[in-house]
Amino acid sequence: MNTRQVWQRFDFLLFAVVLLLCIFGIALISSAIAGNPTLAGHPKRQAIFLAIGLVVLFLVASFDYHIWTTLSKPFYVVVAILLLVVFIMGAAHFGAARWLEAGLVSIQPAELAKIAIILVLAAFFSSNIEKINNWMTIFRSLALTLGIVIWIMLQPNLSTSIVIFVIWATMLWISGLETRYILIMIGIIGLFLAVSFLLDFPYLADYQKARITNFLQPDETARHGETYNVEQALISIGSGGWFGNGYGQGSQVQLRFLKIRHNDFIFSVLAHEFGFVGTVIVVAALVFVVVRCFKVAQNAPDAYGALIAYGFGVLMGFQTIVNIGVNLRVLPVTGLTLPFISYGGSSLVSMLLGIGLVENVHMRSLKKEKEHEID
Amino acid sequence: MNAKEYKKPTINLSRFRWVYLIIALVFLYYSAQLFKYQIIDGDIYVARAEDNRTNVISIPTQRGMIFDRNGIVLARNIAQYNVTVTPAELPDSQGEVRKIFDQLSALIGIPVNQGEVNDQTAGAFTPCYTNLGIFQIVEIAESLWPFQPTRLKCNLDKETAMIIEEKAMDWPGIRIETESVREYPTGDQTAEIIGFLGPIPEILLDYYTEKGFVSGRDKVGYMGIENSMQDVLSGTNGVRVVEVTVGGEVVRDIEEPIEPVIGNNVYLTIDYRMQVAARAILIEQLRYWNEFYMRERNKILSTTGVVVGMNAKTGELLFMVSYPSYENNRMSQYIPGDYYEQLSIDEAKPLVNKAITSELPPGSVFKLVTALGVLNEDIVTPEQQIGCTPTITLRNQFYETDIGYSQTYFCHDKQGHGPVDFIHGIGYSCNVYWYKTAGGYPGEVEEGLGIWNLYEYGAALGYGQETGIELPGEADGLLPNPTWKRLNQGENWATGDTYLAGVGQGYVLATPVQVMNAFSTIVNGGQHMQLSMISKTENSEGEIIQQFEPKVLWDITKDPLIHTYQGNNQTNEVKVIEPWVLDLSMRGMEVVTGPEGTARREFVELSENINRIAGKTGTAEYCDDWANSQGLCVPGAWPSHAWFAGYAPAEDPEIVVVAFVYNGNEGSTVSGPIVKKVIDAYFELKQIDAALGGLQPGN
Repeated sequence: MNTRQVWQRFDFLLFAVVLLLCIFGIALISSAIAGNPTLAGHPKRQAIFLAIGLVVLFLVASFDYHIWTTLSKPFYVVVAILLLVVFIMGAAHFGAARWLEAGLVSIQPAELAKIAIILVLAAFFSSNIEKINNWMTIFRSLALTLGIVIWIMLQPNLSTSIVIFVIWATMLWISGLETRYILIMIGIIGLFLAVSFLLDFPYLADYQKARITNFLQPDETARHGETYNVEQALISIGSGGWFGNGYGQGSQVQLRFLKIRHNDFIFSVLAHEFGFVGTVIVVAALVFVVVRCFKVAQNAPDAYGALIAYGFGVLMGFQTIVNIGVNLRVLPVTGLTLPFISYGGSSLVSMLLGIGLVENVHMRSLKKEKEHEID
Repeated sequence: MNAKEYKKPTINLSRFRWVYLIIALVFLYYSAQLFKYQIIDGDIYVARAEDNRTNVISIPTQRGMIFDRNGIVLARNIAQYNVTVTPAELPDSQGEVRKIFDQLSALIGIPVNQGEVNDQTAGAFTPCYTNLGIFQIVEIAESLWPFQPTRLKCNLDKETAMIIEEKAMDWPGIRIETESVREYPTGDQTAEIIGFLGPIPEILLDYYTEKGFVSGRDKVGYMGIENSMQDVLSGTNGVRVVEVTVGGEVVRDIEEPIEPVIGNNVYLTIDYRMQVAARAILIEQLRYWNEFYMRERNKILSTTGVVVGMNAKTGELLFMVSYPSYENNRMSQYIPGDYYEQLSIDEAKPLVNKAITSELPPGSVFKLVTALGVLNEDIVTPEQQIGCTPTITLRNQFYETDIGYSQTYFCHDKQGHGPVDFIHGIGYSCNVYWYKTAGGYPGEVEEGLGIWNLYEYGAALGYGQETGIELPGEADGLLPNPTWKRLNQGENWATGDTYLAGVGQGYVLATPVQVMNAFSTIVNGGQHMQLSMISKTENSEGEIIQQFEPKVLWDITKDPLIHTYQGNNQTNEVKVIEPWVLDLSMRGMEVVTGPEGTARREFVELSENINRIAGKTGTAEYCDDWANSQGLCVPGAWPSHAWFAGYAPAEDPEIVVVAFVYNGNEGSTVSGPIVKKVIDAYFELKQIDAALGGLQPGN
């Protein structure tokens, strides 16, 4: 295939849907400012990050993804070092250090860590695909994962840690891990959780415990804090009705009853101002993107490409499920963003980078056009 | 790039169906959740969102003023200056905030930092009544209502308020708030009438909240007119329904604001000048007798008394002194615990308006009831002479065939008065005359008036029932009869009870206003007027809402109110009281203040009775908790309250005054002069007013 042929296979539909979601996200963030001066610059920043992200997307799509078999190792090391730096001297944000001040922008190495772990594990599993059902392989992949996730856990950032563990586990599973290994691992995890429960989760920070407690036993009288946020999110969603209060018209958003509305609770802004119909359309678009990633994985030319596309599908799908779950009060409050829509430069650029890789895999797949139409 | 470089994927493609299944299930589940929240339960959340954004703001109204009958201000509102802080408006720079607080602290005397904010101090925080420093108050306010002003210090002097007001531009977030506070220019002169305000009591919270009152801000009347005329005075708070942000910042009005309605003004029938005069006269009399007793017996006589006066023709209350009272201005900002406690435990009960609340044995002033009865029922003829011996021995029987036991009763004059007729029975206040006529005395009065008749005549004069004066807490006294005794004492009525009731002792109890009202009925030709103290009410525009009109409740010479009895059974026969009976009774009361009467010394010998005052003395034996604790209740020599009920001029009475001195010992000497001086003052003022062509309201 020459370059022209490769670009002919660029999935424009996937790209278009992603772009629309990003633009719609900026619109929602604009609505979420609601007169708060500290949020005023956010839509513009998000637009800039979208531009950066698009450049990254095309850049990443341009070079055959196999270059990452060699690049992922130094990338892994750099991310680990960045995480270490954040851990040691990071600025305090919401009780935990997560950002790295780099000139004008602050980047969140944890977002990069998700990409690094997908690339590294894809390389590792694809090269060890024949001996996947082997405790040694399992432990080596776990060691690779822990090399990065340990610093994230220490930040402490439980949700990102869980995301990375989920990526590891699901990639291990799709690589063909036999059921008995899975059962043994579930047993180990179960035992670990049981012991943790007895010891009152010594590795969780107080605010994390509070979030879980709040989720399990909400304090009805709390005016502020986690319960209040979730409660207001639910009011925002519920008052949306069929078609919502209208863009920029939601009282819960505009009068600032809904907190963290540009970020964790942007889904509530969506549901509040666009209603059931608008929300289902947007969620369907997100589902489309995720499913598209998995389709690319299924049709990938090799195990490496398949695992990359699959890994990003899991990442986006899992974040979407968790973020919406938090908004709908199905899951405890985490800090996970809604892909493409929530405010956050690192997250947006990471997601677009992921889409770039998925496009890359798609472009280099041997499948015929026709079959893609059916996808 | 070459296609050969790619290896065939060997990942487990069959597992993708599980991935899609999970995605499909989660999508469906979330859609269902969304449907439940937005569509099924949508109304609940719409209501909650609505509740979030709407805030009902109460716009405080102004309470109406209280005036006396001539327009003298008895209660008004004055501006009080409070300094407030709105945390959200303070400068962002901590250094600037600190600078403002430092300067403010020096002005208002609240330390910049004091105390600690924790759950307890934050929970107990009451603006203006806190020991916390400025920073601590701001910290609490910021967490509670960052966009609302919170009072830092109340009741600043005007100068400090002006200084802070001028700094308003440099001190964002710091403001001067003007609050309306009640002031009583006449203070303790009228406290027993006016009362005071206090916070909405917990038990009435729902009632007042429904009427638009704001707990913690709006006050309600606790006693006196402030209490009884609460609904007239209070006005109605305005309402603004506004849209607010999460911090309480008002965005806009959602509904048309309802402006507050200012409370109505109340004009009393009270003449403040008479109120002051009556109090001064009472206090002077108490002082005189206390000094006398101190000299003679090394103790004081009394610290407690009542003087009330009314217009006999209209029923208007002219003054009402219950001494001691209290300083209601001390309650204007908040009710100070120590002061209130002191007033509560004081034996003289300053918080109680004794003119309407104290149920007392009326003693001889009650003889007018017996007097009307014995003449109207033909028990005696006016000319019939009855032996007024020094002592009388009567049999106390609980039923007709009861042998009973004999008891000796005394006349207050140890020599007795000899044979007296009706007029002198009143004039000399000879107990023996009234024992014999009330209860009967073999040989002289074969059949006495009897308790049922006594009860009927007492009720006709208003005893045993509230006068309905517009004040809270009025007592109804006690007009006993055999039914009452059986129900309440579990005992038959004894003949001795009738003798005692005939002279206003025993079970009979009355309030000073009841006594006054009863005398007013007799001297007003039998017309029992509605006792009232509201002259008029007007709205803030000056339009009269309600104007006093004299109201005849009943006329004892025209309305057949007196039931007749056979034994204990009421018959269908009713009758009126003959006007000549009233006339003769009044002749009797003229004797009282004449050269031979019980009050001759006070009214004739010491000064001239220029205003033709007549009346009746009362020396009522009592034995209450206080007397008992003082060891005064010696059998046969109980202590006495001093009563005098007087009216003038005797031939066409227009004013009735009752003076009562607790433990005053003798009606004529202690209470008589009070009534005389007060009535003299009344006519003097009347003359002055006439000379000035009438006092103009507002002067």
